[in-house]
Amino acid sequence: MGYLRRASKSFIKSRNLSILSAFSAYGPSTFDIRSRFAYCTHSRQNNRESPIDLSQYPPERIRNFSIIAHVDHGKSTLADRLLELTGTIKRGHGQPQYLDKLQVERERGITVKAQTATMFYRNTFSSPNVKDTEESPTFLLNLIDTPGHVDFSYEVSRSLAACQGALLVVDAAQGVQAQTVANFYLAFESNLTIIPIINKIDQPTADPDRVKAQLKSMFDLDPNDTLLTSAKTGQGLEYVLPAVIERIPSPPGKFDSSLRMLLLDSYYDEYKGVICHVAVVDGALRKGDKIASAATNQVYDVLDVGIMHPELTPTGVLFTGQVGYVVSGMRSTKEARVGDTLYHAKSVVEPLLGFKPAKHMVFSGLYPADGSDFDALNHAIERLTCNDASVSVTKESSTALGLGFRCGFLGLLHMDVFHQRLEQEYGACVISTIPTVPYIFEYSDGSKVKVQNPAALASNPGKSVTKCWEPSVIATIIIPSEYVGPIITLCSERRGEQLEYSFIDSQRAFMKYRLPLREIVVDFYNELKSITSGYASFDYEDAEYQISDLVKLDILLNGQPVDAMATIVHKLKAQRIGRELVDKLKKFIDRQMFEITIQAAIGSKVIARETISAMRKNVLAKCYGGDVSRKRKLLEKQKEGKKRMKRVGSVDIPQEAFHELLKVSGNK
Amino acid sequence: MAMLKGNLSPFLFAIPTKSRIPTASLTTSTALLHQPTVCENASMTTTVPPLPIPSPPTSVYVHLPFCRKRCHYCDFPIIALGSSHNQLPEHDNNDPRISNYIHVIRREIEATKPRSPTGPPLKTVFFGGGTPSLVPPPMVWSVLETLRSKFGLCPDAEISIEMDPGTFDERKLRELKELGVNRVSLGVQAFQEELLRACGRAHGVNEVLEAIDIVGRCEIGNWSMDLISSLPHQTPEMWEESLRLAVGAQPTHVSVYDLQVEQGTKFGQWYKPGEFPLPSETQSAKFYKMASEMLSKAGFNHYEISSYCKNGYECKHNLSYWLNKSFYGFGLGSASYMSGVRFSRPKKLKEYMGYVQSLEDGLADGQHHDKHVDAKDMAMDVVMLSLRMARGLDVKEFTRTFGKSLAFSLYGVFKPYVESGHVIALDEKGRLLTANEFNSLASNGCEVDDMVAFIRLSDPDGFLLSNELIATAFSVMSP
Repeated sequence: MGYLRRASKSFIKSRNLSILSAFSAYGPSTFDIRSRFAYCTHSRQNNRESPIDLSQYPPERIRNFSIIAHVDHGKSTLADRLLELTGTIKRGHGQPQYLDKLQVERERGITVKAQTATMFYRNTFSSPNVKDTEESPTFLLNLIDTPGHVDFSYEVSRSLAACQGALLVVDAAQGVQAQTVANFYLAFESNLTIIPIINKIDQPTADPDRVKAQLKSMFDLDPNDTLLTSAKTGQGLEYVLPAVIERIPSPPGKFDSSLRMLLLDSYYDEYKGVICHVAVVDGALRKGDKIASAATNQVYDVLDVGIMHPELTPTGVLFTGQVGYVVSGMRSTKEARVGDTLYHAKSVVEPLLGFKPAKHMVFSGLYPADGSDFDALNHAIERLTCNDASVSVTKESSTALGLGFRCGFLGLLHMDVFHQRLEQEYGACVISTIPTVPYIFEYSDGSKVKVQNPAALASNPGKSVTKCWEPSVIATIIIPSEYVGPIITLCSERRGEQLEYSFIDSQRAFMKYRLPLREIVVDFYNELKSITSGYASFDYEDAEYQISDLVKLDILLNGQPVDAMATIVHKLKAQRIGRELVDKLKKFIDRQMFEITIQAAIGSKVIARETISAMRKNVLAKCYGGDVSRKRKLLEKQKEGKKRMKRVGSVDIPQEAFHELLKVSGNK
Repeated sequence: MAMLKGNLSPFLFAIPTKSRIPTASLTTSTALLHQPTVCENASMTTTVPPLPIPSPPTSVYVHLPFCRKRCHYCDFPIIALGSSHNQLPEHDNNDPRISNYIHVIRREIEATKPRSPTGPPLKTVFFGGGTPSLVPPPMVWSVLETLRSKFGLCPDAEISIEMDPGTFDERKLRELKELGVNRVSLGVQAFQEELLRACGRAHGVNEVLEAIDIVGRCEIGNWSMDLISSLPHQTPEMWEESLRLAVGAQPTHVSVYDLQVEQGTKFGQWYKPGEFPLPSETQSAKFYKMASEMLSKAGFNHYEISSYCKNGYECKHNLSYWLNKSFYGFGLGSASYMSGVRFSRPKKLKEYMGYVQSLEDGLADGQHHDKHVDAKDMAMDVVMLSLRMARGLDVKEFTRTFGKSLAFSLYGVFKPYVESGHVIALDEKGRLLTANEFNSLASNGCEVDDMVAFIRLSDPDGFLLSNELIATAFSVMSP
């Protein structure tokens, strides 16, 4: 009992971590990275319970599946219910807390990091012919949780690689949304069996028939295959796991081949070191085996092996088709390449098809808000990338901000999440530069450069730029039909090209646009949400580079270019963005001892200019009598204020000014 | 006494005493001339002398918190007596709130251990408030007597009292003069009826003129007038008029305060600094410059950010604050500075009375001997206070007390401001250093810094931005 309570708590906590960490820009949330490690802290207790004999579960008694859904369609609640139903976690425990948090963070209730849990389920319900329940077989079910957001489709696709089926959860009232579409296609392209589930049917506005029709028309899913559930009331849940067992095929591996396993994920545990999540495709893995990595040819000893039930539960062995964890003495998660094939050292195997490596689409400079905190930030980033290997990090230095990092992210939300985790989990205080996308410039001498940092592009290169390219995306937007007009306006302002425009049903429009990635990097999603009162859903996938007309926009303070404020923009937007940047800076930089000129310039041509006149008066001409402490406090406060500024040349720039610059999109 | 007088003379301010530089530090510095960082470190360890033992206080601040009503800008610990309190002198004696308070403050003085039993007698006493002129002279006298018997009082001590127009007549002031008060600080604030009303002052212009007249008739040879600039609806014409009338009244000292809008006051609720009806920042800076210009022309020395005086009429009591000297504080909310420790008494009457009780019971001594005195902390106080004065920071003495590296870091941070004219550096002969000279000193480092004798803020530009400049100095002293 005690164990179960702890287990359920830590499971809930660790799941909350991954969910909450996605909320980022839309409101602070607090959680503790250590809760993630709680996964393994009680594992020893398991040894006292009867050990799990995995040899009883050949592939035909195994089902690996995931749950995919649009944000807030009830995926996590459904997952909890299934875990409770199978006794994996104790019913009701941690639930109220979880729900509260979900409510607070409704807008962004998404998973960032894939998590896995193994459940054991005796399929009594679907076998009415078998009277004696003892004879009905027990199945081993691996639920592999996936992030819902497009930025994390890299995580989704690697989770799906270990699955043979997916539960596609759709809200009975909201119907199909943008991420429903994106996730459906990810699963579909991975050849997964899809079980459509219409959830939240207890809502008064639930309209399951309409949703069934949408699923039919959009994805050609048979309405008769659709399950109706309410994870909240428990209605219909008893049909879910039987459907998993009946419809999803068992994993296809060969029991008698030599070991091949796919490295799904890894994280760092302070006590155990690197913990890898693996799917055993062929053969079996035992504690004490020597395994090798196809990517690095490194050989490791298997120190511990087991399943997540839901905490790390040692089993000493993993058989074909099973999903579990391996501790192998890897020193850093950098050695654990996600998508890598692990096999028995000295055996010869064909590596499994890996994943596409993460593609970094958004770059920004991260600098310590206080220059002296570089080491602290360095440490924080190192630790965080241990658990999020999808961020690329290189050191860079800026004359304005000192030493820092250029980080590449999978997308905007990913960037936000990373920032927030840095601040919340590691107490790092960071200044982020304007996010940029990787542009390609071609010069008259035929040379080409890929620019991930606008500051690296020479303002006056001495040779002319003959061509430039920018990355584009294909965006899927689903909105209530009354918002079609404003959304078309928004997309064309953002240099979008309409590819598709149709109606899902009488109330919902479906649009596809090709948009320059740069245009959605800054506050596109917010605009979309605000135009549609929050009813729009949006998703995008990477598309090819397209030729564009780009210029580098410099910001100069008192004539000195501030490298950290440089940005690359479309020529037609340069004027507007330049003006907006200058205005923002004027608003957020306080008067100082000297006059400050703020300019936006393309090359040597100034396109916007403002001045902040010198401070006239800042004096405490008041009789405080002998109350020196009070004067002192006031000046100390003023000094602390200065400390929070970044000094560029002779100008003190408050951190808010940098944050505000991030929001400039040139669409006002 | 003679020494203090010497210090007060503005003429002597410009000619600092010759200083002795420790030989050890000089050799260190020369040897490492081309390695400024090493040099800084070296001087940090070799030349920081132990903190000097502060001399016992010779100044006393006595807080007399009573006011008829609270002014709209005021956030001082005061006790408003209300309109029922009759301002006529014969009625004063009857208010038990005042007599009880005087009793408590005398108990506080009695219960305070003198810093040394054979300590020097007091050289300045300042009755501040509140409105001390609401306290009947016999009670002021009783406090003064308590002080005299406790600490001793120099025969020519400066004894100041703050007085508000409308709270005293000729008889009262004569009485005060007879019992030893020799300096009056008159809270005029403005010469315009509408401004006085807007501030919530309890007096009008007539009372102001009458009060000036009384001070003249009583032949108070040393008196100060308080004015406030940047009041709501104040125009440059009004300010010019106030300054003109102030000069015409021939005080020996003028304090010009720039209105601070404090949280928790009526002004704090109503107004935002720099926004109508308060003057803009530019306007307000102009007021400050007007005061500096007009009062200087009228023969006043602008010897501190908000203080002007005729030759030799500095407020000695306030100077003791700015020179970072020890002082006693008695009464509600008052601050004291003894043995390098600052202490503020409770601001609420009940708590203050409890404090006095515990002082008598020996549970508190108001001096906090156990508190650690941090050199850097003290250095910051010295910088903050001395830069308020026209005299500026005595660099030699500062270096002797706090070490070279701290002084040197100040050079570095003030470099651009010497160039812009906000900060002025003087050598031993009182000659202004050019920006170039100062720059080369600031960048060359350790050996040549003997050239700078004083660093001060310019008048009015440097004074006007003193907070910014001092905060900038703080940022290098305590990063």
